[in-house]
Amino acid sequence: MDKTFQQTGTFLDECANTNDRMNLQGDLNDTELLRSMLAGSEDALAALYRRRQAGIYRFALQMSGSKTIAEDVTQEVFLFLMREGHLFDPARGSVGAFLLGVARNHVLRRLRVEQQLAPLGDDVDDDLPALQAGADICPLDDLTRAETIESVRRAVLSLPSKYREVVVLCELQDISYGETAEILGCAIGTVRSRLHRARALLLAKLRPAAAVEEQDSATVKSARCFA
Amino acid sequence: MNCQRFENIVSELARGQMMAAEQRGEALAHSDACEHCAARLRDEEMLTRGLQSLAAQMDHLAAPDQLEAQLLEAFRTHPGAAATRHFRSRYWLAAVAAVLLIAMSLVALRWRSNPVDVPRQAVVVPSSPKTPEEKPLREEPRRDVEYQAANDTPRQRITKPPRHRQVRSSENTQTASLGGNEIATDFIPLRYMNAANLQDGGQIVRVELPRSTLANFGLPVNMDRYNEKVKADVLYGVDGLAHAIRFVQ
Repeated sequence: MDKTFQQTGTFLDECANTNDRMNLQGDLNDTELLRSMLAGSEDALAALYRRRQAGIYRFALQMSGSKTIAEDVTQEVFLFLMREGHLFDPARGSVGAFLLGVARNHVLRRLRVEQQLAPLGDDVDDDLPALQAGADICPLDDLTRAETIESVRRAVLSLPSKYREVVVLCELQDISYGETAEILGCAIGTVRSRLHRARALLLAKLRPAAAVEEQDSATVKSARCFA
Repeated sequence: MNCQRFENIVSELARGQMMAAEQRGEALAHSDACEHCAARLRDEEMLTRGLQSLAAQMDHLAAPDQLEAQLLEAFRTHPGAAATRHFRSRYWLAAVAAVLLIAMSLVALRWRSNPVDVPRQAVVVPSSPKTPEEKPLREEPRRDVEYQAANDTPRQRITKPPRHRQVRSSENTQTASLGGNEIATDFIPLRYMNAANLQDGGQIVRVELPRSTLANFGLPVNMDRYNEKVKADVLYGVDGLAHAIRFVQ
């Protein structure tokens, strides 16, 4: 019985130490975590990964439209960080911008390879999660909204990469112009002008769909009126 | 506000970006007055809503859990980044040291192989047996002396002129003593030298000769310093005759 209590106490101590470590890692900023990771701390790597992996994964997914590429890119980014993390210079930007810049390079490299094998549109995964509809949204609106989102997603994927990346970063990732400029290695004015051009291209691609949508919407409204 | 200025800011307006309140008010007033710009603003707002919906739809997506496990396993398996960096720095240090070593070796080799002002070793060729066709030595004052360069260059046969001038001034003659920073050639025989003549002793006298004398012994002469003098040690035998000479730098 004493032995069982002793083992239980040891287990609880280990749990407490683990929680302390995790809390400690949670208090550190990205640069400090990176420094700890480079010094050999596995906990720092885990904390940094949990903090940054989703953004990198989504960026790669929105840029490529492929889950496989997104997973590979996420893995490559953190392997790169483990190997070449000392290349990060805090004076040139944040760790998040650094990681997204690395992810961007990997995505563009993968897309170049993929484009040599097959057109991008054929590689787009169609198993992306369905729209999580609220209870107050009727199925027709839900379907319309889902179709709109799907058409927007396809329109974004069909943009040239230099326009697609600013749309993904500024619109979908909600990153500021300044940080986007750091990630892309260009001026803020370039980001702004590319985004303006990208939105014009998206509107041109979506305009026929929007016209059809408006027509359908008008039909539904008139049907409701007659009903 | 006109349509052109409205076009410049319509994206920012639809995205709800920060802008001056006055500018925003002017743009909205213009869109109320201009049907084309109002339609343009509606399109931009529709696009913004579509993009926001797409972002919201994908907001919960994340990399699969096994990816974290794989990365942590890779981190445990391979040396840490710090160790890798130290290894890389050591590797670069070794590479730089190797390059420096090679460069220094090349410079040393090049310096040693530079023939300018490098003394040559003179080797006396044993007198070959006389043949009937060969003239007597006194009639043929030239003596074959084979010089071998210090860097094992192919041997070349150079003939020596019959005589060379020697300056035997009592003022500038002194006993030769090579200092630590002096370089001298081996003694070059001036005449048929019998080793027995030197066994009785002799004297070395330091003299200065015209630099052109070097050419007489087949040594390289720096033409830029042709008119300068060169130091030499002359070996006198007990018979009072000069038997050999060496040049000192």
